[in-house]
Parts: sequence; structure tokens; C-alpha cells
Amino acid sequence: MSAMVTLDRLSKNFGAERAVRDVSLSVAQGEFVTLLGPSGCGKTTTLRCIAGLEHPDAGEIRIGRDVVAAPEQGIYLAPEHRNIGMVFQSYAVWPHMTVFDNVAYGLRVRRVRGADIKTRTRRALELVGLEHLAGRYATKLSGGQRQRVALARAIVYEPRVILFDEPLSNLDAKLREQMRVELVRLQQEVGITSVYVTHDQTEALVMSDRVVVMDKGVIQQIGDPHDIYARPRNAFVANFIGATNLLEGVLRGRNGDICDVEIALGESHAPVRIKALGGNVVAGDQRMIVSVRPEDLSIHLQAPDGDGGNVFEGEVIDTVYLGNFLECNVRVGTQEIGVQLDHYMQLRPQQKVFVAFEPDRGLCLTE
Amino acid sequence: MSTQTLTNETLQAPAASRWRSLVTQESVATVVVSLIVAAAVILPLLVLIVSSFRVLDPGGFDTTWGLDNYRTLYTDRVIPKAFVNTLIVCAGSTLIATFFGVALAWVNARTNCPGRGRMEPFNLVPFFLSPFVGAIAWHNLAGGKVGLINSWGRDFLGMQGNLINVDNLYGVIWVTGLFFAPLVYLFVIGSLRRMDPSLEDSARTTGAGLVRTAMTVTLPLVAPGILSGAIIVFVTTAGEFGVPFKLSAPYGWQTLTTQIFSKAVGDDANIYLGAAMSMALGVITVLLIWIQQRYIAPRSFTTVTGKGFRPNVIDLGGWKWVAFAFNLGFILVAVVLPILCLFIVSLHPVWQSRIILHDLTLHNYVRTLFFWAPDHIAAATNGIYNSFILAFAGATIAMILSLVVSYMIHRTKGFGARLLDFLCVVPVGFPGIVIAMGVLVTYIKTPIYATLWILLLGYITRFFPYGQRNVSSVMLAISEELDQSSRMAGASWFTTLRRITIPLLKPGIFAGWVLLFIIFLRELSISIILYSSGTETLSVGVYYLTNYENDTLTAALSVTQTVMLLACVYIFRRIAGREALTV
Ligand SMILES: Nc1ncnc2c1ncn2[C@@H]1O[C@H](COP(=O)(O)OP(=O)(O)OP(=O)(O)O)[C@@H](O)[C@H]1O
Ligand SMILES: [Mg+2]
Repeated sequence: MSAMVTLDRLSKNFGAERAVRDVSLSVAQGEFVTLLGPSGCGKTTTLRCIAGLEHPDAGEIRIGRDVVAAPEQGIYLAPEHRNIGMVFQSYAVWPHMTVFDNVAYGLRVRRVRGADIKTRTRRALELVGLEHLAGRYATKLSGGQRQRVALARAIVYEPRVILFDEPLSNLDAKLREQMRVELVRLQQEVGITSVYVTHDQTEALVMSDRVVVMDKGVIQQIGDPHDIYARPRNAFVANFIGATNLLEGVLRGRNGDICDVEIALGESHAPVRIKALGGNVVAGDQRMIVSVRPEDLSIHLQAPDGDGGNVFEGEVIDTVYLGNFLECNVRVGTQEIGVQLDHYMQLRPQQKVFVAFEPDRGLCLTE
Repeated sequence: MSTQTLTNETLQAPAASRWRSLVTQESVATVVVSLIVAAAVILPLLVLIVSSFRVLDPGGFDTTWGLDNYRTLYTDRVIPKAFVNTLIVCAGSTLIATFFGVALAWVNARTNCPGRGRMEPFNLVPFFLSPFVGAIAWHNLAGGKVGLINSWGRDFLGMQGNLINVDNLYGVIWVTGLFFAPLVYLFVIGSLRRMDPSLEDSARTTGAGLVRTAMTVTLPLVAPGILSGAIIVFVTTAGEFGVPFKLSAPYGWQTLTTQIFSKAVGDDANIYLGAAMSMALGVITVLLIWIQQRYIAPRSFTTVTGKGFRPNVIDLGGWKWVAFAFNLGFILVAVVLPILCLFIVSLHPVWQSRIILHDLTLHNYVRTLFFWAPDHIAAATNGIYNSFILAFAGATIAMILSLVVSYMIHRTKGFGARLLDFLCVVPVGFPGIVIAMGVLVTYIKTPIYATLWILLLGYITRFFPYGQRNVSSVMLAISEELDQSSRMAGASWFTTLRRITIPLLKPGIFAGWVLLFIIFLRELSISIILYSSGTETLSVGVYYLTNYENDTLTAALSVTQTVMLLACVYIFRRIAGREALTV
């Protein structure tokens, strides 16, 4: 598949603030790529650079085969010449136009023939399920309906790429879930290349072909949702995507994929040796972090039999009942480990327990 | 404590307690205030209407009922022309003010024009100054014979005649246009600043260029603001007395206001005909304000969404210097040149249209300011004294009234609240000169005529809605629960007002007070109808000097007034910050 959007060492500064640093990324034709990261990490800025709403300071942006921005060569194409669509967080549906006029705007600007405007706008409105509201003014729409208008407006002229900047974050939880599914269905139907920005990890995991995790203007990892969740490249990604326990330790040996790690538990406890997947850790005696997800841990009241398993002995700090499961915090020496349990388990504080996990569920990471 | 009172009350006979609950502090206050406001606002207008149907005998003593006054409006030699002139001036002034207002607002809110933060306060300055003084200044600057520019043209360029001449309707249009440009500016700049930038961004990404985005998205979104501003300018110009009085009336172009004035005082005074003319003027302005309030203001778009936005700023490239020059040019012609010219004139014993350095003197200031000076001019010194009394008392009383009225509108429900709300809009629909005619015909035979009280009444009636709007906007922003919880805690209504509501409203009250103080300090068109010897105001003093004394004395008092107004604006901005001053 050919690349539709290519970023090559893209950088953008706001005064001293380095909002985006050396971001390189390639989005294939028809692919749905999500930029994910905490607030202020530069997602919006990256997206606005692609759209042409910001001038990058360095690097190159290509859409299809065209170089649309390359500050070093003095190339900058205005947004209206990039043939893209964009959906904003605030919907940005024009209040002085009807739904129809909003959607038809891009076609009118492109001087499409009158009859075509009608049919194509109708089709776009049908696609988002708003054909019955065509004559209504945008001010008289609900949030979800406005978002659909914005979407129809962005796809009606069949742009090469569509850019989304947190389009669902102003909607309530129920509607958000529904719109997620709808958006993906629509994207597949139309087959349009999409770059989607969000700080909501569930959204990113559910919707994307690939996820780009960013922090402080830098790409931390690119991968498909499963990769990102199961094989985070570093502690930031592991912690940001889903909850995880990060245990600090020292690498003592490596046998194929499996590493032998010593976890220090403070003065009063003997260190515990555990085994975990190696990831990209190599050298011996290296300081590193083992990441274990709460749902991959189990709790036992007696020491589980069989030796060489990954077992910590500790005591319950507290439990939080969350309906479908129970969250239990266990103190192991100086470490605190969160475990996700079946909702019918009964544990009381200070109770002695054993926490265990399979070696292939732990992941060794560099900091 | 509170439980104590509660048990006491419940112990009394049920009938008595029901009666008591009706006569609460709150309801008594509401009724009293409604009556006061209704009397102040409605009575003069009613009497004005009635008076307009009274026809003065040729002898000038008795009156009969009839429609003759209205017939005179279009059979008279002068009045129909004055009517047309008024329309011409209003249209022209609206065009100029809208052009400057919109262009300046755009440059300041949306471009990278250099120094825009610095220039912003100066763009608003004409709004606080007296247009009458502006007219006097422009007369000295570019009047037919006396204008400085014209005499320079003759001296240095060897020209014959005049370079430019503002002593005509065009001059009136020019000066009112400049002075009222800030009205449009204020209406537009807020919505330009707070507009969600993604509204424009999405037009760009959809494929529209800069110009197309501006024409199809930005402009339509601010159009209601522009239209509102334009209507306000039109109405304000229609009621403007000072500028046509100075620039066009002496040269044969009368307007409705100058005609009303000559019917109210003057030798051939006929207040009943004046009343009919006021009615004609009032009907036009009320209609326009009604359209603005009813149809245009509600159509303004809410383009603001939750996030803290940075408005889109357009890089003008080299054009930014053109924008800079444009803005600077406006400040120059609307503020700097007029004031400078007045100052220069005021330093001469007599004005001969040229600067004579060895003649310069401060004697004009001595004669207009120092009431102990043997050759002081009473109209000027009285005017300063009276204006300060009126401004201080007027602003204070009006703000107390505003506070109570706003409280009743927003915190009590029902008919009284709606009536008050309506009463607060009515005076805004009428030019000051019309309200003044109403007050004049109502109170001419009472003891308050020819005292400062009648002026005070006119000022407050016409302008307290401005203060009320300041208070209301803050009150709307304050949660009602704040004062309800004070009542819960056992405080009475009055204690709550004093301890909770008023302290919270302080910024709004203060802003309103200063705005009224400034307005009263420069007020002309009400004062000119209602003053009499001894109750001159500052602007009446200026009027007196320009009519009966010379240009240089006039300039001195004008400069004095201007300096006072600027000082008020400056102090106010220091204390209240720049956000607070909006109409
Ligand atoms: N126009 C601007 N001027 C100055 N600084 C800016 C501007 N736009 C963004 N920034 C800064 O650049 C950094 C990245 O901002 P960006 O909007 O890209 O973050 P984001 O990842 O989209 O965050 P969020 O999830 O909160 O939307 C932030 O620190 C922000 O303060
Ligand atoms: Mg963002």
C-alpha cells in the first residue's frame, strides 16, 4: 500500500516551547491512525501541521506524492489547497447556515455543478443519518447531530485524508461509544485515510489500525492496538495505555526470551527473583522495570505450589469494589501492587496473601 | 436566633401572619421602586405626547387642542428640510462609523498589526469625549475661514479659499462618524476576539481561501454585531445636538435637534411644537431601537465554546504597516489633532487662524476656571461646579436605583419584574433631547424647574439603564444560591443585600458609576434644554462661550472638560482593568 500521509522529522516550536519534535510517521492509503497521548503532548499541533493550519519549523510533510510543507525548502501549501477534511472538537458547525449549506460548502467552494451539489450533499447526509435535518439551522441541533454535520461536511468532497481532533470528547459517554462504532463503520465504508487525535486510550484501541503514542512532542511507540497494549516499548507507554504495575529491578540473566530479574523489596524483605519476557533488554546487571497488568496477576491465600513461579508474599492494604470486578492493593515490602480480581472474592485488610503471575505476562522495559 | 423568630411568628394568629408575609421588606421595596421608575420614565413621555396636541395661539398665551403642530412639521419652511438633513447626517455618520469601527476592530483583534495592544485604549477614547467639543475642535482645525489647516494652505501653499471645510453637513457627518466609531468597535471586537477559531479553520480545511472564509464565515458571524452597532450609531447621531449646532446650523443646515432646541428656548419658543418635533424624532429612534433589540440582538450567534481559545491571527506581511498607519491615522484625526488644536487655540488671547508664539497666555484658563478671578465667566465656573455635583449625585443615585432594579428583575419573578425590565429599555430608545423635552413640559410649572433637580431628574431618567445593564450583567453571572444561602442562614432580605449581594456586585456597580459619571460630565443635549441661568453645566458653559464669547475661551473650557474626562477614564482603567468598560 502506498503512503498517503508522510511526516518526516517534523518539528514545531511555540517560542521556547517545543511542541513537536522530530516526528516521523507514514500513514498508508485507507489506514486509520490515531495519535494518542496526554494533554499538551503535541497531538493537535501535529494534526494542524498536516492540515496546514500551523507552519512547521522543520521537516517535511507529504500528502500523496505532493510535498505540502517543507520549511527548509520554503514550501508551504495553504490548507485550502491540500484537499483534506478536518473535524474539530468544538464541531465548528457554522451557526448562520443550514445543515445542507454547511455540508455543501466544500462542494460550492470547488465549483461543483448545482445538481451534483444536491445529490452529493444528500448522499453525505444519508451516510451520517441526517438527511431529514437538511433544512435545519445548525444552532438547533444536539451535540451528536452537530458532530455528524461536521463529519458529513468533511467527507462530502472526498478529500484524500480526513483529520479528526478529539471529535468525540464533547459528547456524553453513551453517545461517544455509539459514535465510535459509527465512525469506524463509516471510515471503512468510504475507505478514507484517517488521522485521529485523542487522549482517550479506549477510543484509540477500539478504533485504530495503528496507534501512535506521543509524549512531550516525541513519538514513544507506533504499533497496532494489541502491540501497544501487550508489548509497550517503554514504561511511559505501559503506564499510559491501561493500568499497570511497574516494578523496579535489576537484570540478572537472560535465557532466550525470558529474563531473570531481581526485584528489591526494601530493607526488611529479601529480594525476590522473578522471570519475565525480555523485550529489548540485553545487558546483564542492568536496572530495568518489569510491567505487569493488574488483570494478569492472581491472588492466593496459600503459597502456590511448584517452584520457580513468580510469587510475592504480602498483605492486603484495601479493596475497591467496582461492580464487575474487585480491585485489590497489596503491599509487598516497599512496593505496592494492584490486582484485579473476580468480584465475588472476599478479602480484608491486613490479610496475608500471595500474588503470582505467569512469566509471559510480565514485560521487562527500559525506563 | 432564627428558630426563635420562627416560633414567635408561628405563635401569632394565622391571619396576621399572612398579612405580614405579604408586607415583607422585599415586596414593599419592589412596589415603591416600580412606582418611582414608572413615574420617572413614563410620566414625561406621556406629558410630551399630550403636549404635542396642544396648539399655541398666535398671541402665544393660550392653547387649544388640535393637530396643528403635526401639520406644521411638514408645512413649515425649515422643519422638513431639517428632517431630511437629519436623515442625511445619520446615514453618512453610520457609514463612516461602521467603516472605522469594523476595520479597527478587525485590525486589533485579528491581525498582527504592530502595537495593537497599545492602540486599543486610544481607539475607544472618542467614546468618552464630548462630540460637541470635537466639533469645536474640527471647526478650529478645518473650518471655512478660521481653520488652521486652511490658513496654512493659504500661507504656505499659496492657495485661494479653503483646503477643506467642515462647516457644513459633511463636517457633521465626519465628526459624528469619528466620534461614534467606538460604538461599532465595541459591538464587533468582542465577537471577533471570542469567536471559536475552528469555525474559520474548518472553512480553510474545507477548501476556502482567506478572503472567501472572511466573506462567508467571519463576516456573517459578526454581522448582527455590526448591524446593532450601526443602528445605535444612527440613533445616537439622530439625537446629537452639539455637532450640528456648531458645524451646520450657523451656516444654514438645520437638523431636528437644533430645531427642537430653538423651539424650546429661543425667542420664538413654542414648546408644544417642540414636543411634536420630539415625538417625530422619538418615533424614529424608538422604532430602530426596537428592531435592534427585538430582531437583531437575539440573532447574534453564540460562537464561543468551552475551551480557552486563541483567536486566529492573520499575518498581514508588509500590509501590517498599512494597518498600523490606518489605526494611527484614526487616533490622530479623532483624538490627537482635535485636542492639540484646541490646546493651541486656547493659549491665544484671540484666534486669528495662526499660531502667534509671543502672544501665548494662560489667561483664558484663568477666566474659565478661577471663580475668584475678577474677570471670570460665571457660566464656565458655574458649569464646572454644577457638573461635578450633578455627575457625582446623578451617578450615585442612578447606581442605587440600578442596583435595586436589577435585583428585582433578576431575583424576583412575576409581573413586576417584567414591567421593570421594560421600563429600563424605554429611555434607551429616546434621544436625550426628547427626554429633556418631556421633562421640561412636565415640570415647567413646578418648583424644581430652574433648579439642578430638574437636570438631575433628566440625567437619571435617560441614563440609568446604562448603569442598570452593568449591574445586571454581573448579577446574571452570580449564582442566586449565594444570596439564598444567606437567607437560609437567617439573614433578612436587607441584610443579605448589604452583606452578600452588593459586595459581590462591586465591580459592576463601580463600572456603571464611572460610566455614568463620565456621561454626566459631558452631557449636553439634556442640559441645553433644562438649564437656566445659574444651573449651567460644563457643556452648557462651552455652549455659552462659543455663542457669546470667543473661540479661545471656548477652547480653554473645552480642553478643561476633555482633560477631566480623560482623567476619569484613566483612573477607571487603572482601578477596574480594561475588561470592565463596555457599553
Ligand atoms: N498557538 C500556540 N501558541 C503557543 N503555544 C501553543 C500553541 N498551541 C499549542 N501550544 C503549546 O504546544 C504544546 C502542545 O499543544 P497541543 O495543542 O498540540 O497539545 P495536545 O496534545 O493537543 O493537548 P490536548 O490533549 O490538551 O488537546 C502545549 O504545551 C501547548 O501549550
Ligand atoms: Mg489537542
